[in-house]
Amino acid sequence: MKETAVAKTAWPRTRAMRRSAPRTAKLNVSNLLVYAAGFVVIFIVLCALMPGQIAPYSPTEMVMTDIMLPPSLTHFFGTDYYGRDVFSVVVYGSRDSLLIGLASVLIGGLLGASIGALSGFLGGIFDTVIMGFIEVLMTIPGILFALAIAAAMGPSLFNVVLAVALSAVPGYARVFRGQIISVKGRPFITAARSVGAGNLRIFFRHVLPNAWSPLLVMATIGLGTSILIGSGLSFLGLGVIKEIPDWGTLLSQGRGYLTVAWWMSTFPGLAITMLVLSVNLMGDKLRDHIDPKKSRF
Amino acid sequence: MLKKRNNWKTIIALTTALVLVLSGCAGTNKASNTDKNASPAATTDAATAAAPAKGGELTYALATSPDTLDPHRSGLAVAVRAIRTIHDNLVAQLPDGTIQPWLATEWAVSEDGLSYTFKLRQDVKFHDGTPFNAEAVKYNYDRILNPETKAANSAALIRPYKSADVIDEFTVKLNLETPSNAFLGNLSQALVSIVSPTAAQKYGDQLGKNPVGTGPFKFVSWEENSQITVERNPDYKWAPPLVANQEAPYLDKVIFKIAPEEATRIGSVQSGQVLAGETIPPQNILALEKDEKLQLFKSNTQGLPYTLFINENKAPWNELKARQALQAAIDVDAIVKTLYLGTYDRAWSPLTPGTFGYDKSLEGGVKPDLDKANALLDELGYVKGADGVRAKDGKKLTLHYVDGSPNREKRNDIAAIIQQQLKQIGIAVEVEITKDVRTVVYENGNYDIYGNSQVNSDPEALRSFYHSGAVSVGANQNLPGFKNAEVDGWIDQGLIEKDETKRQELYAKVQQAIIEQAVIIPIYVFPYTIAASKTVKDIKFDSLAYPLFNDAFIQK
Repeated sequence: MKETAVAKTAWPRTRAMRRSAPRTAKLNVSNLLVYAAGFVVIFIVLCALMPGQIAPYSPTEMVMTDIMLPPSLTHFFGTDYYGRDVFSVVVYGSRDSLLIGLASVLIGGLLGASIGALSGFLGGIFDTVIMGFIEVLMTIPGILFALAIAAAMGPSLFNVVLAVALSAVPGYARVFRGQIISVKGRPFITAARSVGAGNLRIFFRHVLPNAWSPLLVMATIGLGTSILIGSGLSFLGLGVIKEIPDWGTLLSQGRGYLTVAWWMSTFPGLAITMLVLSVNLMGDKLRDHIDPKKSRF
Repeated sequence: MLKKRNNWKTIIALTTALVLVLSGCAGTNKASNTDKNASPAATTDAATAAAPAKGGELTYALATSPDTLDPHRSGLAVAVRAIRTIHDNLVAQLPDGTIQPWLATEWAVSEDGLSYTFKLRQDVKFHDGTPFNAEAVKYNYDRILNPETKAANSAALIRPYKSADVIDEFTVKLNLETPSNAFLGNLSQALVSIVSPTAAQKYGDQLGKNPVGTGPFKFVSWEENSQITVERNPDYKWAPPLVANQEAPYLDKVIFKIAPEEATRIGSVQSGQVLAGETIPPQNILALEKDEKLQLFKSNTQGLPYTLFINENKAPWNELKARQALQAAIDVDAIVKTLYLGTYDRAWSPLTPGTFGYDKSLEGGVKPDLDKANALLDELGYVKGADGVRAKDGKKLTLHYVDGSPNREKRNDIAAIIQQQLKQIGIAVEVEITKDVRTVVYENGNYDIYGNSQVNSDPEALRSFYHSGAVSVGANQNLPGFKNAEVDGWIDQGLIEKDETKRQELYAKVQQAIIEQAVIIPIYVFPYTIAASKTVKDIKFDSLAYPLFNDAFIQK
């Protein structure tokens, strides 16, 4: 969250000051939830960064004598039909799931924001054409769009990231365009223009810093969606095929065994749920924090 | 042109996506031409000798939708389950491999093996009233040869059939291009069964939607992706010796429900929504065996087991030692036991145990031996690097393993296990799971290992996989890229050898040579498995493990 700190200076000072007073942290249920969510996210990020320290077993080791053991103290999440420790596989699998989420939000966000910013700032025929196109794309459900891209390009990590990212682009573009247009019409922009600031200066010094915060919220919440879509693609067999499967793949591998070994897909499923829920909770909190409506009254 | 295709790809992808989402992310599509699940040695448990009850409808859940019910045009095993109920053949093959009369009462083979004269039953009628006679037989086999029919697997089965002469109304002489020991066995297969000539002329392309045969059941209706209904043929009295009931079947109707989603299919058998369901995965077999209301019917397929073909046209697998290293490093027992939990048998030979000529002496011959595998790769000059992967002249020892999607019979999981097993001897396995096996494997030949199986009634099936003249891949090689003049000779001789013992010896030699030269890694024999309510009695199987419902009845 380094970006937040940097960007704060760019906000009009009065707003920042007014906000700090009523927002001292109080320990209530919603805050507790956010803390819990934070811990989950931190733990999962740790899993992705140093799985070797957390997982008790190798994620690829198949012990043929220990297949489909139920959860126990030696195997927290049980073992799968290859005889792998499900906990270890889930820990290692976090890396791809997180990577798909982060990378696609980054790519999708950047691409969407650029399109939206250009469109909103330039306006005119360019805006009409681009937004018309974006509207068309928005009629296609995100998961279908991602599925089509993944199916056409074939399974690889990059393609999945691209598929998920592209499916998110229209959303970012539209929100950011709206934001840019609303900021563009504010009096301080007119003021800047009247003292002779050029287009580029106005855009980068005045419009952009005042427009990006909803995008941050959207990206945080979008992270959850992206992880879900990425897992969905893997679940359908269009995802990454690697030695260490990601969560979506684990979910689909265990699906046929639900009646005989529920733990094989339940725990990866729980991991997805926990991560997405936590990220969304944090996104909600962030939205409350920088919601212009709340901060302006 | 190319652009257009890409557009189509997207459209198809989109449609597929929608279908997938709507069908609850199913995906047990079984659609390989060469590969049909099926075979003999029916291990029908239960079925106590109760008097058959007449009437009732048997609902039977299929794993995929049939492509067509025109036997001559179908390429899917799942279609044969329905085709079998509607159509009959000239002859029947028993589980022991012997050929018995069916629509033909007797036959004579000419001295040179080039013509077969069949005497036909005189009391047989098609469902539409057309009489069954020598003309009908000639019409059927000529229809398969006719390019306009667009015959699928049947075209290969009918070979080397050339023409037919109608001698009198109930005598027909079939002429062959070359002698073939496999011919009679092939004539017993459902895909070359006899359709009504009147119906075939009337419906043409659409016969597959309106099949008319002489079988124990008449076609009633086919609701796309939902169900196929057939009803009892009351005039039926020409059943094959595979079943006990020589008269019309006991059941009023058989309703094939199409249920691609595994969990749904098994769930509906357990809940009693359908009386029987096919293709039960191993983990569920174990669970269903304990279910007091259910029983399992199981029959091993015949022909070629699921086999991994090592592509000899890709270095270093052209080297015998490299292939032997794979043979010694891949622990097939562990794979079969882990994934199939003891419900599938391990395969040892390029043929399955039920097939004529199977060489039992190969059993137990290949044993996993990592030291040997390592030593062989050392000899070839591959040295383990820091990452544990062997390399020679700066080139890493990788193996490109191609398998199809969806994950049929856990074949993708076999790839995952082999990846780990070969890591131990320093081979890096890249697994490619593709929906487009046809392009990757059969057009581009881009694989080091690819696995497949084939249901067949005769060891002649070996030809299309191991004879150098068979060029299924890129029109210049067979699946393993195997070229061996001696083996070619044995396969050619096996096709015409009249002495059974000698023929057996020839095929034994073929099988031994293939295993000795580590051309393939045979993995498992597929058992066709049905789960059914205990009230369902006496589902039988033909020699290729396709279900027969002549004897079946529902106990009240």
